[in-house]
Amino acid sequence: MTAAPAPGGTALAAPPRSGARRLRLRRGLIGWAFLAPLLVLNVIVVLGPSLATVWYSFTDWSGIGPAKFVGGANYVRAVTDPAVREALLHNAIWFVLFLFVPMALGLLGAHLINQVTRFRMLYRTLFFIPYVTASVINAAIWKMLLSPDSGIGHTLGIDQAWLGDPKTSLYAVNFVVDWHWWGFLAVIFFAAMQGVDVQLYEAARLDGAGRWRQFLSVTLPGIRPTMIFVVLMTIIWSLKAFDYIFIMTHGGPANSSDVVSTLMYDQAFNQYSAGYAAALGLSMTVIVGLVLAVYQFLRRKGWEE
Amino acid sequence: MTGPSLSRRRLLSSVGLLGAGAAVPSLLTACGGGGGGSAGNGTGTVKLWIDITGDANQQYFTDKVQGGFEKAYPKITMKTTYYKGQDLRRLVQTALQSRSGPDIVRGPAATQTMAWSKAHVLADLTPYAKKWGWNGKLAEWAINAFTVDGKLYALPMRVDTMLLYYNKTLFEQKGWSKPQNRSELEEFAKEAAGHGIVPFGSSNTDWAAASEWLMTVFWNNVSGPEAVYQALTGKAKFSDPVFVDAVTLLKSYFDKGWIGGSVAKYFSVPAAEVGANFGKGKVATVPQGEWYMSNVGQFFGSKAGNDNDWDWMPVPPLSSSVQPNTFPIGIGGSFAINQASKNQDAAANFLDWYYGDKSAALGRMADVPATYNIPITFSDSDIPSRIDPRAKRVLTSLNTAIDTGNYGYVTWTWWPPKSDTFVFQGLEKVLTNKMTPAAYCKQLATLFDQERQQGTIPKLMPRGAAK
Repeated sequence: MTAAPAPGGTALAAPPRSGARRLRLRRGLIGWAFLAPLLVLNVIVVLGPSLATVWYSFTDWSGIGPAKFVGGANYVRAVTDPAVREALLHNAIWFVLFLFVPMALGLLGAHLINQVTRFRMLYRTLFFIPYVTASVINAAIWKMLLSPDSGIGHTLGIDQAWLGDPKTSLYAVNFVVDWHWWGFLAVIFFAAMQGVDVQLYEAARLDGAGRWRQFLSVTLPGIRPTMIFVVLMTIIWSLKAFDYIFIMTHGGPANSSDVVSTLMYDQAFNQYSAGYAAALGLSMTVIVGLVLAVYQFLRRKGWEE
Repeated sequence: MTGPSLSRRRLLSSVGLLGAGAAVPSLLTACGGGGGGSAGNGTGTVKLWIDITGDANQQYFTDKVQGGFEKAYPKITMKTTYYKGQDLRRLVQTALQSRSGPDIVRGPAATQTMAWSKAHVLADLTPYAKKWGWNGKLAEWAINAFTVDGKLYALPMRVDTMLLYYNKTLFEQKGWSKPQNRSELEEFAKEAAGHGIVPFGSSNTDWAAASEWLMTVFWNNVSGPEAVYQALTGKAKFSDPVFVDAVTLLKSYFDKGWIGGSVAKYFSVPAAEVGANFGKGKVATVPQGEWYMSNVGQFFGSKAGNDNDWDWMPVPPLSSSVQPNTFPIGIGGSFAINQASKNQDAAANFLDWYYGDKSAALGRMADVPATYNIPITFSDSDIPSRIDPRAKRVLTSLNTAIDTGNYGYVTWTWWPPKSDTFVFQGLEKVLTNKMTPAAYCKQLATLFDQERQQGTIPKLMPRGAAK
């Protein structure tokens, strides 16, 4: 909005304002020029596929050749598909286990390292190795270790086929994923614990607090922001679970370890229903969005403080 | 300016295709100059993506196939990229959809390759077939499987069948003879299991589709090839009792612990472990495809730490309607040419070289057991003497089966894509008691009818002697 020029003073006042505006404009353009390559790349790699996925979710596309528009049929199918319901239930089980087991183990591990004064770096490294090892390698090794004919169980005299039994397959894979994740959390929590003021511990000790009370009343409140961050990371990770399940069981046997992402892959590349797979993918995106919205809502309500 | 330019329409269509995660290669190809020649030039670089695994096998392909071709065609350079099995179909399909990818397309089963053809991503090979007389060089039944409406869209890559591998040394030690019928097979299985030996080693841990190998065996050896043919042509239903009986029998073998040791072990013991146990004599037999012949040797002999030896036998007839020495036959994969290739003539030159030189092709069959068994016509006397006698017996047995009409049908060639997938995925539900054999067959029949009506079944090998 431009202000009305003052009588007799217009010619003097206008040039500096116009110059500042031009300068701001030029700076803005330079900024956008630097940003442009990244934006173009983002549009091609992120926005393009996202929009295409939305489109394909409304088609009966087989994954190759032309796609036929079918409206919301894929979404209707997803709501009524028993396989999706089963996979969602597995996602929920996975979510609960993945949220609590590695968190509990990570906190315990960090607390224990925090107590010792020697070899801390060694423990941290050992805890971190599973996290930095490629999932395909972890999964392949654990596949052998869980073999009922030659794995750890067999050596101990238990020939349970953990990955082959529909009752245990999901939990067996989840165990491996928890094993790979908890060490990372332990290192993160340990780093956070290093930042807690030692005077608080001294004060707690003077008040007669034992180790457990110190952990509950000093350590946990002290690392709360880190814990909130880790919870968010864990939620996102658990909802996009795919690699370990795909490598270790392919979602089987008989869909017993299928989650929505593996079901989606199966629909796209084995069942030739890429349109339906796109609809499943978008549905999961909505679910993740809802979870994140709840998280943000709780944050604003002061959950984090 | 040389090389193809990136038109606005091409750019927009490529961006639209990004949903498949596939257009980046397309764009790069468009920008980079494609294959370097024209479709009619017959020179330049030819790209091939293939799923040959193992260092020795890849080296053989590089030296003898790629190297042999480049020697014969000095103006063509072949660039081979090796991938691991299951990923390749997904990668190739994604690349084809984005109008990029290799020049020579290593396709999956006949029905799936047909789906690619219907999507117009494969070049019509008919003119090349006429030019070089491929129809006379390849077996008619095999080339028919890749012909739709008179147009040839791919060439068959390997003749597939199912065999029963057995630990020859173990059989000799135990005094077991090769079972000739169902009662002898079950007697053998009972005795082996009694000794703590797994009668039939099998696992689908590394390859989910391994279950369809078993269904191929049971439908062809219990229901019989004639019944399978009737169902594939729509004159019978896969829900008929004769097919349900085969599934029921297979499940009963699983429930007795005869296959893989148990259902749960079948789903969890890695294939390499099954092979190791086979070599050690903890597993007596392994029902597997002829391709297993290129791997099975690693589990036997001094390198594997045992003194055992292996051999194979045909799966015995498991009902009175099946003749002895019946072999289910099909095609393992295909070679086609990418419709978007800028170098189609050069790619076609490779196909002509690969299929056209009978002597060289038979040499490859002799050098690497089962891997290069392309369906060309040859007599038993054409087979080089250096071939492993067990591999030779596969070739001669298949020739006899085809000449006498004593053959069946493998699921991965003659079943349409969704039905084929259901064959192995549905069987998991049967084995884990989530579905009855009757319900499984009924669902298969429904699915098969739908796909048959869509015309996704290749031209079948007729009953009687084939060519």
